[in-house]
Amino acid sequence: MIITETSANGIVIVALEGNLDALSAPKLRGSPPVADPKTTVVLDLEKVGFMDSSGLGAIVGAAREKSDPACGIVLSCMNDKVRRTFETTNAQRLFHIFDDTAAAVDFAATRQIART
Amino acid sequence: MSSIITLTLPGDPLFTEVARQTTTSVASLLTGENHSASDETQFVHDFELAVSEAFTNSVKYAGEHDTPPTVTLTFELEKQRLTVSLLDANSPFSIDTPAPDIESYPENGYGLWIIRRVMDSVTYRREGNSNIISMSKTL
Repeated sequence: MIITETSANGIVIVALEGNLDALSAPKLRGSPPVADPKTTVVLDLEKVGFMDSSGLGAIVGAAREKSDPACGIVLSCMNDKVRRTFETTNAQRLFHIFDDTAAAVDFAATRQIART
Repeated sequence: MSSIITLTLPGDPLFTEVARQTTTSVASLLTGENHSASDETQFVHDFELAVSEAFTNSVKYAGEHDTPPTVTLTFELEKQRLTVSLLDANSPFSIDTPAPDIESYPENGYGLWIIRRVMDSVTYRREGNSNIISMSKTL
């Protein structure tokens, strides 16, 4: 899996490309902005071709470690396959989910300002 | 009439992708007639997801070995129905796991729950020293 980090409006965007499973999940957990409790991250899932519960667990576990679990990881561009894994477990309830990354960044920036 | 395909893989996470790709290829054999494209896509993906979960569990609970133990996948194709079974030599387990308590942000414990949610039927049996989990779905 390829992890690309960029930023916009003061928010770190972590874009994932490839399969998010038991093999790649530790790589996501090891990503510094994902692992840092105080960094709000937009996780762009558009190019995730497949995600099972190991990938889901990595995202949920990373959110749990955030100082604000409900907003520390904001999700964008979830495709149908990824959505299925979230909805099967009800994990979508834990996250703010946006259809496009720009909207996710705007939301994350607003929440970050609100906390400071 | 049914067709049976058997595939034995090393119980190593590197081979999860092989298990998934084989599963999508086999499940796709059932698609193509009299169904909506979205139903077919869902059918294939649900098997891909279920097999990924089951294979990952087999690898995860195999314990430490000098050479990885094997996981054998058996695909039974019927006219509108596919059954995928995974056989491993791990310790016995139960498939009756509770729903994950999502509000506590669990990192693990979703696999068997997902399998039961996306398949029509899931059975488990112990034969000798082997576990066999069978997952079926009708298109």
